Amino acid sequence: MRLLLIEDEQRLADNIAAALREAGFAVDHAADGVAGSQLAEQDVFDAIILDLMLPGKSGQRVLCDLRRSRHTPVLILTAQEDKESVVELLNSGADDYLAKPFDLGELIARVKALIRRSKGGASPVLRVLDVELDTIRQSVTRRGLQIDLSPTEFRILEYLAHRPRAVVSKRELLEHLYDYDWEHHSNVIEAHVSNLRRKLNLEGTEQLIETLRHRGYRLREGLL
Amino acid sequence: MREPASITKRLILSVLLFELLAALALITAVTVNEQRAQYKVFDANLRGTSNVLFGSVQDAEDADDSIILELHSLTLPKDAVFRVTDESGKILGAAGDLPELSLKPESFQRAQVSGRSYRFFMLTGERIIDPGQNGGVHHHVTIVYGLPDGHVWHEVLESVRFFTLSTFVLLGITALLLVWLIRRFLAPIHELAGKANEISAIDWQFHSPESARQFIELRPLASAIDKTIARLHRSFEQQRRFTSDAAHELKTDLAIVKSSLQLLAMKRRSVEEYERGLALGLDDFSRLEHTVQKMLTLARLEQPLHAGAQSCRMDEVLEEAIYQGSSLAEIRQVRILASPRTPATTPLDRRDALLLCSNVLLNALQHSPERSSVEVSSVIVDHHIRLTIRDHGEGIREEDRRFLFEPFYRGDPSRSRKSGGTGLGLSICKAICTRVGGDIDIANHPEGGAIVTITLPLTASSSEPQLSASLKA
Repeated sequence: MRLLLIEDEQRLADNIAAALREAGFAVDHAADGVAGSQLAEQDVFDAIILDLMLPGKSGQRVLCDLRRSRHTPVLILTAQEDKESVVELLNSGADDYLAKPFDLGELIARVKALIRRSKGGASPVLRVLDVELDTIRQSVTRRGLQIDLSPTEFRILEYLAHRPRAVVSKRELLEHLYDYDWEHHSNVIEAHVSNLRRKLNLEGTEQLIETLRHRGYRLREGLL
Repeated sequence: MREPASITKRLILSVLLFELLAALALITAVTVNEQRAQYKVFDANLRGTSNVLFGSVQDAEDADDSIILELHSLTLPKDAVFRVTDESGKILGAAGDLPELSLKPESFQRAQVSGRSYRFFMLTGERIIDPGQNGGVHHHVTIVYGLPDGHVWHEVLESVRFFTLSTFVLLGITALLLVWLIRRFLAPIHELAGKANEISAIDWQFHSPESARQFIELRPLASAIDKTIARLHRSFEQQRRFTSDAAHELKTDLAIVKSSLQLLAMKRRSVEEYERGLALGLDDFSRLEHTVQKMLTLARLEQPLHAGAQSCRMDEVLEEAIYQGSSLAEIRQVRILASPRTPATTPLDRRDALLLCSNVLLNALQHSPERSSVEVSSVIVDHHIRLTIRDHGEGIREEDRRFLFEPFYRGDPSRSRKSGGTGLGLSICKAICTRVGGDIDIANHPEGGAIVTITLPLTASSSEPQLSASLKA
């Protein structure tokens, strides 16, 4: 999953980005409203974390502009606590908010919940055929057997599981798994998918991931 | 506790008091006048009856041509007292006990008759008997006639009583009318008070009611309330903005500290990672500490100062500030050019003065391009020392000028905390200057760059020698 963090306070941005990366997200960072707004317009982010007090362009306006064309979930970080501004924020299209100083763990949990909901599932456990993904514990089981995946493999499977039946292009997968320098990873994605396929392939089970030549990948039908 | 005084009550009471005094004067005048009128009637009555008595003196038809008093056809009041005498003192007729009187003809006198007050009149006249024969016989008749005058006083009192009664009834009606009228006239004041009462910290709206603007007496009050509210609102808003900005600032710093530590605690890390994390966390803590310190400094400076408690040599402070700034100047390759400094003593605490000078100087250094200079000079004008610090940077935006000394104001929002510090530096400078009656101003130099002018009063005792020193310099 790829996140956009728009936060002008460099130290805070560093900490949030580091924590999110450790939690398995790809994170892009914008230090002001204008750059943040431009980045947000690209449809590659699964969620946006937006600070309200931004130089260049206020978080409020970034949100309004974004909501004209995109439905990317937005979590607001704010130091204002009055109920009115929170109501106003939620009304103008924010999906969630956290008041500073917040808990990093809570931030990560809320971002995960936001992404889950935006992909259409409320449960943190995704089921595809006989495979179960626990997005909290980051564990995968097939027919009750624990399957040991690398973080990247897990993220690929998680992303595909969020979009059942859809064909996901290699580029889309890359965009959502890595931050701005995803192109450096384009050669390894096939290797990761092939590893993932191999690990998931238990005896007497169907192939879970289909490869559609020149189009991308898709999870097998009859799911969920 | 004393009951609060009421203008309405006072107005009504004073109007009524004046009315009462007027009524009393009027009653006295009426009494005097009534008494006079009543006596006039009474006297006319006495005189008339006396004349009738005189008319009743008739020829006795005897040889002496004497006279008698014929009273058959006359009815006199029962309590009337009279005596008719002729020239020889012979009593022709009398009734009642006539007291000793010293009456002159055609005059009145009061006297007591058996314990009652009487008024007497004396009439004299010539009665001629048989005027046809040798001119007739002349008789000089004297009539003294008196009636009790008690009922005159009774009449006077009766009419005065009626008059007094009606006056007091009128007074009562006036009082009621006054209360009603004054209430009505004072209604705009109550309305104004009501409107003013609606103002609260949440709702600062104040529109003086139409009725208050209608009366010239209330207009100044309404406009004073208007202005006071506006002033209070402004300072309240300023305070609220400060609190909210301060909270924002502190929360941001806290968020950084907290997230640094939480990041470190997310998983087991290597010793190097912990060391690096702790160092960063300490830096974050220092920044939080710095913000808090500046806020406390500002709060301290906003307290009123005990006059004359401290003083410092401004030239020495300036030298120290330049020394402190020299390392930053070296790093940024900026030269500090200081004109010969004028010795001057200001009523500032030395630490505050140093804070002021170094804040302004560091600000100038931070905004100076490389290989430029910052010029510092001081002159003494009119018992004040004027410091100017000029840089050759980008200057200030004219629209920011008004707000630069407001806490947390950062001007161009794209210059965030990274370059602008806490946004309290200039506010602290302003507070230091204002506390001793000085001033600080920032403007653009006509040839580019910003110029900060600090004006500080000199300590009274030291201003004279300093003036001559400055002339020498």
